[in-house]
Amino acid sequence: MSGVKLEKVHDYLWEVPMEGDMNVPGRIYADKDSIDFLLEESRSKQWDALLQVKNVACLPGIQVASLAMADIHPGYGFPIGGVGAFDLDSGVVSIAGVGFDINCGVRTMALDLERSAVERRKSHLADTLFDAVPAGLGSTGSLKLSVREIDDVLREGARFPLKRGYGVENDLLYIEENGVVDGADPSCVSSHAKERQLKQIGTLGSGNHYLEVQYVDEVIDDRTAGIFGLSKDSIVVSIHTGSRALGHQIGTDYLKVLDRASRKYGIPIREKELVAAPIRSPEGERYIAAVKAGINCGFANRQAIGGLVRNVFKKIFSLGETEIRTLYEVGHNNLKFEEHAVGVKVKKLLVHRKGATRAFGPGREEVPPPYRDVGHPVIVGGTMGTSSFILVGTEKGMVETFGSAVHGAGRIKSRKRAIKDYRGEDVISGLEREGIAIRVHSKRGAAEEAPGAYKDVERVVNIMEGAGINRRVVKLKPLICVKG
Amino acid sequence: MEMFETEKSGNDMYARGHETVEHGADMGIKGRGRSAEEAFEETAVAMMELLTDSRGLVPERSICIDCKGDDLSGLLIEFLNSILLKSDLEELAVFEVTITRMDRIEGEWVLEASAGGMPRKGIPERLLSEVKAATYCGVSVEQVAPGRWEAGCVVDM
Repeated sequence: MSGVKLEKVHDYLWEVPMEGDMNVPGRIYADKDSIDFLLEESRSKQWDALLQVKNVACLPGIQVASLAMADIHPGYGFPIGGVGAFDLDSGVVSIAGVGFDINCGVRTMALDLERSAVERRKSHLADTLFDAVPAGLGSTGSLKLSVREIDDVLREGARFPLKRGYGVENDLLYIEENGVVDGADPSCVSSHAKERQLKQIGTLGSGNHYLEVQYVDEVIDDRTAGIFGLSKDSIVVSIHTGSRALGHQIGTDYLKVLDRASRKYGIPIREKELVAAPIRSPEGERYIAAVKAGINCGFANRQAIGGLVRNVFKKIFSLGETEIRTLYEVGHNNLKFEEHAVGVKVKKLLVHRKGATRAFGPGREEVPPPYRDVGHPVIVGGTMGTSSFILVGTEKGMVETFGSAVHGAGRIKSRKRAIKDYRGEDVISGLEREGIAIRVHSKRGAAEEAPGAYKDVERVVNIMEGAGINRRVVKLKPLICVKG
Repeated sequence: MEMFETEKSGNDMYARGHETVEHGADMGIKGRGRSAEEAFEETAVAMMELLTDSRGLVPERSICIDCKGDDLSGLLIEFLNSILLKSDLEELAVFEVTITRMDRIEGEWVLEASAGGMPRKGIPERLLSEVKAATYCGVSVEQVAPGRWEAGCVVDM
């Protein structure tokens, strides 16, 4: 039992007051029921998300607070939903704040199609997408690369598949960092990581990764939805995947490096995964350069899949290039160098978001010009067959959370429990009865990802809106779900 | 380890065996045996069963695993991640493993093993989920009684 003390700040914000080795307080966006659930978990099980918030607050150089968004649940070192920003000179980079699936994220594409058009051809569309987008364990992509070409992917990000004919130039404007981060160094990535990735660019993966065809069920913010080009029954496609095996291997490789670095630089290891190195150390700089390579790999993967999706819709619905556009693409396992106000100063910080999404509000220059008045879209996925949301960040969110948001619903049942409680066949047929065409590579995966295994995404999003950190723009519902 | 909820195979808890263990977001795996080597092998089998339904399958190919660790916990994680790495590189669904060497040399643990399986392309219907990595979360290797070892960790799925 952690015995983490909590103080209520308001109905949607709780604070872990500074004590002991904490350098900053912990702040958790949650309602009372969520907090009670977290406290019960910390009492009865080994995993303790609240303690993880506290442990992160003890890391050197952390600024303002160790944060957790409303989809908080136990992770590896950092809680899922965790955000930690660090001073570049005194702070550390932590592998736990990035995770194994580097730049896992969601691209949402908007199409000039109405819901009725998709409903009429739903089954055929689902089958075609299932055939076109490789998914599941052992799947390989259409881009088969050499090790030298993988180095190009790691440097060029989304530009690499674009050069090979996947997608259009305009996609890049609507991806975080325009689809590529500077400073990626392929020499900091092991040959094993690259070899694992040779056939995986353009693959969806498995687990909670998905491709969904969705429609706008509800417009909550008319003005912002209009700026995004969305209206009731508009069709979007959301692609949730990351950097695949390359990201996983970078995490595995650097866990050992940062473990040794933690000991070398005297950084206490409060949880084995919460290893770190000073940002300015050789180990820290190498890890950051490797993560940037992983980030670019994630961008490349989603650009390639986006291209495959584009081709399917062009073929089935005879859409032109301009009738399919990238609405926006966000990552939710990331490191980013960002400028933020800390007290009266504006500082450049290294922001870790682990299972949390960047949500920059109005006025930020990182936001694409067409969205700059309102902030960029923040895509928050529910689980298979449930609602998703598009949010925006707020000025309050910029001040309190370094411009962050939730990334999804968060699990409420373990995978083991979900496999016991649900049969994949029943989950699939249940969703089909609701009018959702499901195509899965693994029925067991369908059971693991059953809607009942996850929190209610609507509740999670409402907490962040109640706290004034994010605003809902539209609610999406699925028509088609493809899973690995 | 008492904090884990487990299902145990067989009537004798300390018979060689393996199981999956509840974890909030991913999956815990646990192996037990008469030696550390057996506990490692069983933990690996628990992980490999998350990847492949191998019931009734016979291995067609084998791969060599070699890894090192500063301590037994680190060695376990390296062992499991080496299996994941080699499986991916060889595009092999691995479902059997035998440790051929596990020694401590000059303060470092060294492990060699042979893992057998079938090409993934040949059994797509048997492939289940991806495992991203073995993590240090909940990692434990201990001799719970003479001739009785347990090992385990959480894998990120």
